[in-house]
Amino acid sequence: MQEAELHDLSDDADYAASQQQGSASMIRCDSGKRSSSSEPEGAEIVFLKDNVTIHPTQFASERISGRLKLIKQGSSLFLTWIPYKGQTANARLSEKDKNLYTIRAVPFADVRSIRRHTPAIGWQYIIVLMSSGIASPPLYFYNGGVREFLATVKQHVFLVRSGEDSNVFLVNDFQNPLQRTLSSLELPRAVPAASVPSSPVSVRDSTSHENEDRTDMGVSDKSASSQYHGRQRQKVNDPARDLSIQVLEKFSLVTKFARETTSQLFREAHSHSNGFGAFERRNSNQSSLDYSHKASDDEEEVPNRSPVAPDPLEKVPYRKQNHDDEAATNVGTFELIDLKEFDKLSLVWGKPRQPPLGLEEWATFLDSEGRVVDPKALRKRIFYGGVEHKLRREVWAILLGYHAYESTYAEREYLRSIKKAEYETIKNQWQSISPEQAKRFTKFRERKGLIEKDVVRTDRSLPFYDGDDNPNVNLLRDILLTYSFYNFDLGYCQGMSDLLSPIVFVMEDDESESFWCFVALMERLGPNFNRDQNGMHTQLFALSKLVELLDTPLHKYFSQNDCLNYFFCFRWILIQFKREFEYEKTMRLWEVLWTHYLSEHLHLYVCVAILKRYRSKIMGEQMDFDTLLKFINELSGQIDLDAVLRDAEALCICAGENGAACIPPGTPPSLPVDNGLFYSQQDDEVL
Amino acid sequence: MASRRRMLLKVIILGDSGVGKTSLMNQYVNRKFSNQYKATIGADFLTKEVQFEDRLFTLQIWDTAGQERFQSLGVAFYRGADCCVLVYDVNVMKSFDNLNNWREEFLIQAAPSDPENFPFVVLGNKVDVDGGNSRVVSEKKAKAWCASKGNIPYFETSAKEGFNVDAAFECIAKNALKNEPEEEMGAKPAAMDFPYLSS
Repeated sequence: MQEAELHDLSDDADYAASQQQGSASMIRCDSGKRSSSSEPEGAEIVFLKDNVTIHPTQFASERISGRLKLIKQGSSLFLTWIPYKGQTANARLSEKDKNLYTIRAVPFADVRSIRRHTPAIGWQYIIVLMSSGIASPPLYFYNGGVREFLATVKQHVFLVRSGEDSNVFLVNDFQNPLQRTLSSLELPRAVPAASVPSSPVSVRDSTSHENEDRTDMGVSDKSASSQYHGRQRQKVNDPARDLSIQVLEKFSLVTKFARETTSQLFREAHSHSNGFGAFERRNSNQSSLDYSHKASDDEEEVPNRSPVAPDPLEKVPYRKQNHDDEAATNVGTFELIDLKEFDKLSLVWGKPRQPPLGLEEWATFLDSEGRVVDPKALRKRIFYGGVEHKLRREVWAILLGYHAYESTYAEREYLRSIKKAEYETIKNQWQSISPEQAKRFTKFRERKGLIEKDVVRTDRSLPFYDGDDNPNVNLLRDILLTYSFYNFDLGYCQGMSDLLSPIVFVMEDDESESFWCFVALMERLGPNFNRDQNGMHTQLFALSKLVELLDTPLHKYFSQNDCLNYFFCFRWILIQFKREFEYEKTMRLWEVLWTHYLSEHLHLYVCVAILKRYRSKIMGEQMDFDTLLKFINELSGQIDLDAVLRDAEALCICAGENGAACIPPGTPPSLPVDNGLFYSQQDDEVL
Repeated sequence: MASRRRMLLKVIILGDSGVGKTSLMNQYVNRKFSNQYKATIGADFLTKEVQFEDRLFTLQIWDTAGQERFQSLGVAFYRGADCCVLVYDVNVMKSFDNLNNWREEFLIQAAPSDPENFPFVVLGNKVDVDGGNSRVVSEKKAKAWCASKGNIPYFETSAKEGFNVDAAFECIAKNALKNEPEEEMGAKPAAMDFPYLSS
């Protein structure tokens, strides 16, 4: 293949060393102090190949050779690749590099596919793609044997050739019913694997105390805290680089994603900084992967806690918060970014929330006739600080789209009067139903009954809604019933009263205004209440994709613990965290979400942010689905809104287009992609 | 781990919106009643330790949303249930008529291995309301239905006054226990002590 690789190997000390090691070196590999973890007990080596080599850079002379093994333990098959010890041909490749690339016991249960490359000239190589989306570096078989390798794999795991690419071999390509359910929601090609580097993007700070902390935890093996090894030697304009890019891309999606992320974050944070160019250049050449881990026998585990894979996006505040209780991991980790450089990341992360928009400042956003001059600037302002309560009545109507940004005071006043009459007309439709008529109108009676049951248990502890015969409770009932006539197909669904309550509170019991703001909100959130629950399933699916992208270890944990349906986030999404925060905070969160400033789907990033805040608890205590659901339900009232919003913002920026690609088109609150019926009606259902 | 798991009895409470599922659960577990429970969104559960024939069990009681529209979530919540409690409001005929739907929906979604003999218990709640004057479903009618479905045990309860709640849940626990197989099944393998590449 690449010309550079075709040079004579006889003068290559690394190659020579590997030749010497030959087959006798099996013992040597196993005799290291870490053998207990690289080869499980009772394991049988079913395949062994020497001189399997990776090329960390585009220079063929820079290589690390090692031994590839397939190990069978019980019914599981594992892949390992351990570099040879001894002198290296190239001084630039240190022992550290070897450690970084070492692959220790990857279970095939986690492998999605193996891609085989058999170039006409040059060495055959394979790339192993994990189900999480991570790809191994190309593993070059200097001595041949790719076919035998695949044949051996096939003897032990379910391996089929991909219909689309005969060089791709799919591993364990049978989906369980849940996965099938989830993937049926995945729009065709909307989230192709290649464009979703669901990668352990390590955008982590590594202040110098980090390793000390870990040592304090009884973790002595520093290779465990995997580290980026910066590579600054390559020149950006190196003619060989184009070649290398191709390899690098295959090398690891992780690298590419990290690079983009890095650049993006820094462009955002330091767009005017002189030092930025140099930084970006350095990062664009990174290709270090760390497959290393900590030998379990080196660790003293905290009792009753499981080791937790570090947050790949861990940042300064998290570090401070968690380092006491987060034992480092014996699970492989990846680090790509120069950690010290990433202290700067906290600039993005730490962007402080602002005080809410007040009356005086609000006036500056309006022209003399009341038009919002720069809607984007207004949305941005509200995104960062929300709105003072007394302004909400006016601002919410605009944010929700009931009034247009470009409308004048007079136009808004006019619309209000028109809409008031329209509301009365719709309301009259059900008010005019006589008791006799109602007797013969089961659907109406039942709908009304359901609404009446719910409004009397909606926010009754608030003074605004408490007490017997509270007129505001009746207001909720009337508006919901009117809405169920306005949108008869969708009708009434539990959760709607939670969404309406703050609106009526803000609109100071102006019934018509409350109704139309609720209508505008339901334009966004109506699909949450679809009969087939498709709107919810789509969002939960997008959430799972985002977690996979932004916290692969957590995703993997959920996957292993049967939590991928994300039903424990159902309440969060259905009613926009209404039950998770106190009333005032809920209103603050809603106006931030409604700006659609960074993303229409910021609420999903809020979900990720909350999950990440508690990730070490979730994984450390090995919560199963039930425990997790309970834990999440009980977080109600405990969540720090400002901190979560800051995290959500940073995650959203960090994920960038890759994040957007996780969210299928038409996912609420986006409008549906087609103009068909919003709410499919099923005849056999009553309500 | 294995022994702890064997002691867990999972109970699902189903029934129309507003029949008092959350209240029954809270009365039994916390001995509390409130008029201000919110409509349940999604699902939640409470646990209570119960003793039966000198053995301790953890009763895990699942409270679910009552609106039909949320039934598709059942798959995740009903799985592994040992007993299903069907609740209706003796003052609302429709909530009684719907018991059959709830039962069938449960059997479809939970897919128990022996649906014929899966234990259900029926509770007619809110017998306290209006001194019983607003009652529309008679005890006789309810018992007849229970008999027709394989002699489902039936209790009349008031979550508000705590009437018959303990007796009902004792029966529920016993039936759940009967359903629980003796042998531990589906135990998770011990965590492997070597790393995963992608973690």
